[in-house]
Amino acid sequence: MTPVKHPLAKTGIYAVLILFSIYSVIPFFWAILQSLKTVRQAFARTPLFFFTPTAQNYTNLWFTSTPENFWALGMIIVGTAVTFILLLMVSKKYAVPKSLLIAGIIIILAAALILIPRMMNMAEFYNYFVNSVIITVGVVVISMTIGSVSGYAIARYTGIDSIIILIAALGFRALPRMAFALPYYSLGLATGLYDTYWIVILVLVAANQPFTIWMMSAFFADIPKELEEAASIDGLAPFPAFIRVIIPSAWPGILSTGLFSMLLAYHEFLLVRVLTQSKWTLPVAIVQFTGGEAPGHVTLAAAAAVSTTIPIVLIIIFFQKHLVKGLTGGSVKG
Amino acid sequence: MKRKLFHQFSAPSNLAMILLMVFPLVYAVFLSLNFVTFRNITSPEFVGMANYRYILSDPDFWRAFRFSLIIIVFTVPVHICLGFIMALFLDQVSLAVRGLLMSMMLLPFIVVPVVGTVMFRQLFEVGGIMSYLYQQVFSQPFVFTPMSVKVLVIFHLIWYVTPYPIVVFFAGLQTLPEEHLEAATVDGASRIQQIRFIVIPHLKPLLLMIMMILIMDMYRMFDSILVMTKQNPLFQAENLMMYNYRIGMSVQRLGRANTTAVLTVIGILVVLIPFLRLQYRNKTGKG
Repeated sequence: MTPVKHPLAKTGIYAVLILFSIYSVIPFFWAILQSLKTVRQAFARTPLFFFTPTAQNYTNLWFTSTPENFWALGMIIVGTAVTFILLLMVSKKYAVPKSLLIAGIIIILAAALILIPRMMNMAEFYNYFVNSVIITVGVVVISMTIGSVSGYAIARYTGIDSIIILIAALGFRALPRMAFALPYYSLGLATGLYDTYWIVILVLVAANQPFTIWMMSAFFADIPKELEEAASIDGLAPFPAFIRVIIPSAWPGILSTGLFSMLLAYHEFLLVRVLTQSKWTLPVAIVQFTGGEAPGHVTLAAAAAVSTTIPIVLIIIFFQKHLVKGLTGGSVKG
Repeated sequence: MKRKLFHQFSAPSNLAMILLMVFPLVYAVFLSLNFVTFRNITSPEFVGMANYRYILSDPDFWRAFRFSLIIIVFTVPVHICLGFIMALFLDQVSLAVRGLLMSMMLLPFIVVPVVGTVMFRQLFEVGGIMSYLYQQVFSQPFVFTPMSVKVLVIFHLIWYVTPYPIVVFFAGLQTLPEEHLEAATVDGASRIQQIRFIVIPHLKPLLLMIMMILIMDMYRMFDSILVMTKQNPLFQAENLMMYNYRIGMSVQRLGRANTTAVLTVIGILVVLIPFLRLQYRNKTGKG
């Protein structure tokens, strides 16, 4: 559209947008405040905006006993963050292969996850966090591996079969989760897979597949066909050509799709709740905090909610463009 | 790419979808015809259509169905209108500001749904900002009642899902045919006329698609209602998914729960089949 010229109209547009943005983030702002209050402050008749913040809710949430070696924890977190940033900088400068970079990040995360409980008494919430990480990583790795191969094939094959697969996948995606959760519940109990990471990961991979192949096929369709033609002239078979030539040029698409795959797994409540008993993830744990009417739960729930949201905020800061691309992926050309 | 190679490449993904999605659906239909609880989970007892008769004559089921429809009617039009207006406005602001505003607007949609609901609910609980404002304006405390919980669910769903149409419409606006707009400006068409006669017709396919996706998503909304109502039966704010969950997990009648699941799937076909046909036509290029 042509830009609005009138200064008054322009001010109006900015005002509406800013108001709407504030409305979007107010619950987050309030949750952060509540999580830093004592229970008494949180229930104050007039909402408190200025108070001495306390970290008590967060320590109660994450630790069984207040750790003496707080510094060690701080060092681990700072160390991990610094390593991440260094890794990113090094990879930008020396063109390190993306797969190597991702492997590095996973190793560092895993090391931190194993090291932390060795050094202090972590509360139940830490286990939920670890479960979330395990399930999310498992889902993303499996789902992206099989999904991108299939998405590539769909993008390159012009026959009717690929369209049928895409349409069927879309149908699966629209179905209510409950229709899968219940039969899996019975099947899981019958096969002994109930309450394992495997069943959750497998079911979530299946639930993610439709979305993954749609997005990946849209991204692969934009990659010039000449690439694999050149590869086949060089004597590469289709699959090695896909791995060595196509994948490296499809990284932005893989990143976008991977992010969404990750969010879908991290968000899942129903399937985890129905299919597990001891492998609860963060969303399931948070419902437990908010289910009761105990007053102490309000600030604790706020702390849990904020803790769960921090990774998401980081993602939105670093990957906003990829998120937008992912949301519109396939539905808007241009 | 040859057909054989295509099927080899897509085999793992297709296998995952068939084994993990088609098969469970078939199994759900089978279970829906049986009496199953936790005791006889490995040896279901065949009862024919009895579960269907029971569910279809359960007033709770129909109340849940009504609430599901109410949610769709009250949220989807708001999502679309608000999304369209915000997208038009975002199109007007400078690039730097736009990034920041979009990040803030996206947050409700990207955050874990359960968490978003917890945060939204806390605004209205004792000591929250909204419950305080309510007290100031109406000089009575905000109470969670069957009515107010339903209204909150709808407000929350508007807050939570509107970012999605905003982003999609915004992307759609970037594909507008500039020359048409310029021609219209030269002809002296007002901004409203431009939107009415050029922008909306151009975005119509997108509008239709978003509407269908939103209807289906609102229909199967679960997390948000679970947290908002805390599964309290007093609020009578169950939609079909919540009803289904209660029959399965709390009442533990798995056969009947599967029956409900099958019925909800049949219900969604009303929107799903036209949607799939539309997509099929888009893909095959038959107008």
